Amino acid sequence: MRSSTLKYAYFPGCVAQGACRELDQSTKALTKILGIELVELKKASCCGSGTFKEDSQLLEDTVNARNIALAEQLNLPLLTHCSTCQGVIGHVDERLKDAQINDRAYLDQVNGFLKKEGCSPYQGSTDVKHLLWALVADYGLEAIADRVTRKLSNLNCAAFYGCYLLRGQDHIRYDDPFKPESMENVFRTVGATPIYYRGRTQCCGWPLSSYATDQSFKMAGAHIQEAIAAGADCIVTPCPLCHLNLDSRQPEVEKVIGQKLGLPVLHLPQLVALALGVSPSELGLDRHIVSTRSVLEKLGF
Amino acid sequence: MQVVFKIVRQNQDSSPRVESYTLDVESSNTILDCLNQIKWEQDGTLAFRKNCRNTICGSCSMRINGRSTLACKENVGSEVARFSTTEIPEITIAPMGNMPVIKDLVVDMQSFWANLKAVDPYVSTAARQIPEREFLQTPEERSKLDQTGNCIMCGACYSECNAREVNPGFVGPHALAKAYRMVADSRDDQTEARLDHYNQGTDGVWGCTRCYLCNSVCPMEVAPMDQIGKIKSEILARTDGQTSRSIRHRKVLIDLVKQGGWIDERQFGLQVVGNSLKDLKGLMSLVPLGLRMLGHGKLPAKFEPSEGAKQVRSLIESVQKFKAESNHSQS
Repeated sequence: MRSSTLKYAYFPGCVAQGACRELDQSTKALTKILGIELVELKKASCCGSGTFKEDSQLLEDTVNARNIALAEQLNLPLLTHCSTCQGVIGHVDERLKDAQINDRAYLDQVNGFLKKEGCSPYQGSTDVKHLLWALVADYGLEAIADRVTRKLSNLNCAAFYGCYLLRGQDHIRYDDPFKPESMENVFRTVGATPIYYRGRTQCCGWPLSSYATDQSFKMAGAHIQEAIAAGADCIVTPCPLCHLNLDSRQPEVEKVIGQKLGLPVLHLPQLVALALGVSPSELGLDRHIVSTRSVLEKLGF
Repeated sequence: MQVVFKIVRQNQDSSPRVESYTLDVESSNTILDCLNQIKWEQDGTLAFRKNCRNTICGSCSMRINGRSTLACKENVGSEVARFSTTEIPEITIAPMGNMPVIKDLVVDMQSFWANLKAVDPYVSTAARQIPEREFLQTPEERSKLDQTGNCIMCGACYSECNAREVNPGFVGPHALAKAYRMVADSRDDQTEARLDHYNQGTDGVWGCTRCYLCNSVCPMEVAPMDQIGKIKSEILARTDGQTSRSIRHRKVLIDLVKQGGWIDERQFGLQVVGNSLKDLKGLMSLVPLGLRMLGHGKLPAKFEPSEGAKQVRSLIESVQKFKAESNHSQS
């Protein structure tokens, strides 16, 4: 059992407040049952999902320096639950911390914009952490195992990490980007069986989905097929953008590849919370495009 | 130390098989040293490309423990420490991806070279018609070419590129990194034509799915995805949202963040795909998705802007104003 309470500045992101509200719901349910305290950053804004940077590096850095500074004001680490938000904001944090040492002029420029608009300046005094890493590194897998009340035995879970979580930052402290194990270790902790397949570290195709749908869905389709062939009962992802392409668009993916798939896609906190005794409806498992019934039946719900 | 090399071997038009070779090697030996040892002492039929042995020529790229890299750059000790979990350490070797195998670890790189050629990878000839003296560049101008100039055309990025797997028209990260080198070169006088060329469909920069794999595997830190981003940024500065859907995607995203702090996804779909009601075919394509999302309770009834939306808007506007002014003063 943990002695001290973990507390984070919670960055909800766009998708968890829009098409994947079940993610917001399950992150809150999971942290509640684990006794992790979240202070929601109500004044935060979209990280740009890699698109700000295509406009300019300065735009991505300035907007996200503001996001990080909001957490710094609370003296808390910033918690993401989206691979893309993590990769973008985490990388901005790395870059600006480096600028504190190697490029003061650039940091002053970023902070100049923030001050002009009445925002707190970026100080480099906190950390940007994905929920996955908060579970693995801060809370600890053993402490989670202690709280498991419903082992997810016989459930074959295929991780889908998301590009930005593995490769968006220069350094990730908790995984090898080419051989990650955090998700699989979480699966083992809750009694499920990890499924290994190449797609787990590849791109879901979401960034292309608004204008190159065939390419995007072919990408998603190949990974889902591979996961099914490897014996997966479901995909589990720490990224709601991956979830959009793998779950919300799965009917279109099926059309593009000409094959029925029907593979449920769970958000990471949904899976963990199920094992801790939270009910499926509290986790919004009834609000997926691909029915999660087969998973729940396998678990005896 | 004893190490087992598991090598994916293949003849043209036949299915691959894995062959194992056990070697006694030093942890400081490179993977290329080990492949040479296999070829010279155990099995002369093993085929792989090699040349300089020193991360300069780019010949020996292959998939080592699942990612494309140079056999001469990686060594046994770090590979085993990083990837092996077996009692007798194992190292897996496979040919590069996205290119057909000729034999074993030798792939046919024809499409790789053809795609490089497609971006017109030479400083424009018109600018060269002054024979009297050299083309002078300031150190600052030259420094813009340093990172992309480091490319050794090894093919590692192309091998891992997720966009190449689904889009045979996409020229690939190596070609677009070179394309940026041309765009950034002060001696080239075809910048506008190049940007137009690289902006076409999804063969150029918009084919990139931002998977970061090219950045991740590049042995020379060329960061092709970053270079693709810089070309996009040049294109975005010259175009509006009506140019194409890929450009509208970018413009609308920033506009929506300015409006609400967070993105209103319903508006994003309508404005990007439906082009604010102007693209009927696009709008119709959204109908099944919209109904599906509505039916499963995934379409939010309302959008709640961030409490900081106003501050974010003026912050973005002041950065945009600054960028526009500095672009203006440069041109």
